[in-house]
Amino acid sequence: MSRLQFLESIGLVALATLLGLPIRTLLHPTNLVMLYMAAVVIAAFFLGRGPAMLASFLSVLAFDFFFVEPRLNFALADTEYLVTFNAFLAVGLIVSSLAGRVRLQVKALREREAQVEALNDFSRDLTAALSLDTILNDVIWHVSQTLGREIVVFLAQDAALERRAATPDFKLDESELAVARWSFENSQVAGLGTNAFPQSQIRFAPLKTLRGALGVLGVRPGTAGQVLTPVQGQQLEGFAYLAAMAIERALLAEQANRAQVLGEAEKLQTALLNSISHDLRTPLVSIQGVLDSLLEVEEGGENAVQLDQAARLDMLENAREETARLNRLVENLLDMTRLEAGTLKLRLEPGDLQDVIGSALAHLNDQFGSRPVSVTLVEGLPLIPMDFVLMEQVLVNLLDNAVKYSPPGSPIEVSVACQDNQALIRIADRGPGIPSAELEQIFSKFHRLNRPGQAKGVGLGLSICKGIVEAHSGRIWAEGRSGGGSVFTVALPLERATGKGREGRT
Amino acid sequence: MSDLPANILVVDDERPIRRFLRASLRGHGYTVLEATTGQEAMQEAAARRPDVIILDLGLPDMDGTEVIRQLREWTSVPIIVLSVRDRESDKIAALDAGADDYLTKPFGVGELVARIRVSLRRAVKTGDEPVFEVGDLKVDLAHRQVTVNSLAVDLTPTEYDLLRLLVRNAGKVLTHRQILHEVWGVAYEAESHLLRVNVSNLRHKIEPDPNRPEYILTEPGVGYRLKY
Repeated sequence: MSRLQFLESIGLVALATLLGLPIRTLLHPTNLVMLYMAAVVIAAFFLGRGPAMLASFLSVLAFDFFFVEPRLNFALADTEYLVTFNAFLAVGLIVSSLAGRVRLQVKALREREAQVEALNDFSRDLTAALSLDTILNDVIWHVSQTLGREIVVFLAQDAALERRAATPDFKLDESELAVARWSFENSQVAGLGTNAFPQSQIRFAPLKTLRGALGVLGVRPGTAGQVLTPVQGQQLEGFAYLAAMAIERALLAEQANRAQVLGEAEKLQTALLNSISHDLRTPLVSIQGVLDSLLEVEEGGENAVQLDQAARLDMLENAREETARLNRLVENLLDMTRLEAGTLKLRLEPGDLQDVIGSALAHLNDQFGSRPVSVTLVEGLPLIPMDFVLMEQVLVNLLDNAVKYSPPGSPIEVSVACQDNQALIRIADRGPGIPSAELEQIFSKFHRLNRPGQAKGVGLGLSICKGIVEAHSGRIWAEGRSGGGSVFTVALPLERATGKGREGRT
Repeated sequence: MSDLPANILVVDDERPIRRFLRASLRGHGYTVLEATTGQEAMQEAAARRPDVIILDLGLPDMDGTEVIRQLREWTSVPIIVLSVRDRESDKIAALDAGADDYLTKPFGVGELVARIRVSLRRAVKTGDEPVFEVGDLKVDLAHRQVTVNSLAVDLTPTEYDLLRLLVRNAGKVLTHRQILHEVWGVAYEAESHLLRVNVSNLRHKIEPDPNRPEYILTEPGVGYRLKY
């Protein structure tokens, strides 16, 4: 209790005396005692037990000195006042001690309130925090603010404790780490101010959950040896409990997230394997069938099938087409693998679009059959930085799609225009078109238009095109076409993008 | 061409490929010799003097390009390379080392036989014939005259040099570097845009449809070849 409070209690007694002096003649002295009683009660409630007791004694003396005849000395004319004095003193002391106790209780309540408020704040922040890192930051901030101490958080990582967060410059020695481990392993508080390892400078509280401790929360006083009060100890455990719940939630969310990513990767892989095994096997089935049948014809035998030349020719042509299809599939799978592995290196050289288009058309010559294929180029087209082989692959894939998804005999139109420092290569067909909802999706891996009887690819071609075109700093998109059909556009920059890391090998 | 069937040395370590090449080449009337390694290939080439060598680049003991280099030290026998698509740089290296042609695996037998015929024809061709003809294109090297459908075509000196190089190597794949070296000189080997522009101009002058060239054929990522 501070000296100031005792001085204040003296002041209160003096004030009661000053108030009493002018009205001394109007009231009986015993009623004037009430003024002093008020001073004692006020002292008791606002200044505490000690100052109130001092006020009680001083009040008796002041009353005797100033108000009881003979005044201005401590002698008593009437011994009856002894009763008054004793009663006053007794009441004053009882009031002092009662008021003191109330004061303590109020103080405890206030502390409790602050504590609850701190826990509430903490809990609110933790609820809002989504990631483990944010949660740990919140733990450090709130606990250090509330308890005014340095904080460290350890989390279990594969059966070992790993330091995950701490207030700046928090250092621990081996023995303190051992205390932390003990606290974690036994799920009990340990260290400074507890029964276990009280010689430690840090107090550790386990981060307990229903499934065991996740880690420990350690606090170290700013000045060595300053033990936490029992209330603060409880508060620390409250914080540890809330922190444990939040951390557990974050860890579970992380796990769930990982599981989801894994699940999606697995789904993708399954889709890939299904498509690949289907698309690799189908041509093989045809080829094997053709070969078996022809072998049977050659070998003769009594059950031998008779095939005329036209039928044999048809079978052989079928087998050859299937081989080409198989080859394109393998090429696409290789390209996809390279794109994904990041090993696809662009060999950018000035390229002639007319030449690339011509090469791509030559590549697919057998497939066009009787289709009219037109090529329209804008005059004075400059050379464009490109990887010739990869760009040819893009055009082959787009033209191959145009053939696959449009009726035999319908025209395919290739055109090149220049616009906004870009070359726009358009490949247009007169097929059924692409539903507008799928115009973007078709460029994602394994996406195939859902049309029975027409799906003839893994759904890799367009995603490879996109990968290659984007590696050229270009864009690719699909649109519907007035009059029916689809247009695929590849936009390539006329000049090499500067500042890009890709350089052509020369 | 001689009356004796041509000897073809097939160098490939894959048995199924040798087996099918043996069957189909014999079917076309060629005698087939086989080797499975680079060493064996060089021994066979020296001992049996084949008319054409079909060489796979991926050999177990040494790189196919090295085989070409060593063969070229003493023989000009036509070498046709078999390669897989994704190794353009290997094809270029093989052609620069002295290979005459290459085929991408998988390939059609018809295509292979056509390439073999071209190689054999080129090999027996002695001396320079002054007039080259393919389709409607006629190049008279003696008179520096180029005609398409009997109509004279006006070429710049560079375009003519380029065409003459292609004509002299008709049927053979020439790499970008080889062409730049021959037509423009050593200092221009990396200036591929010169080649692109001149090929494009040449095509506009001699091709019936420059959008779908018939005479000057592009070998993507590798070079050009004149139809033969």
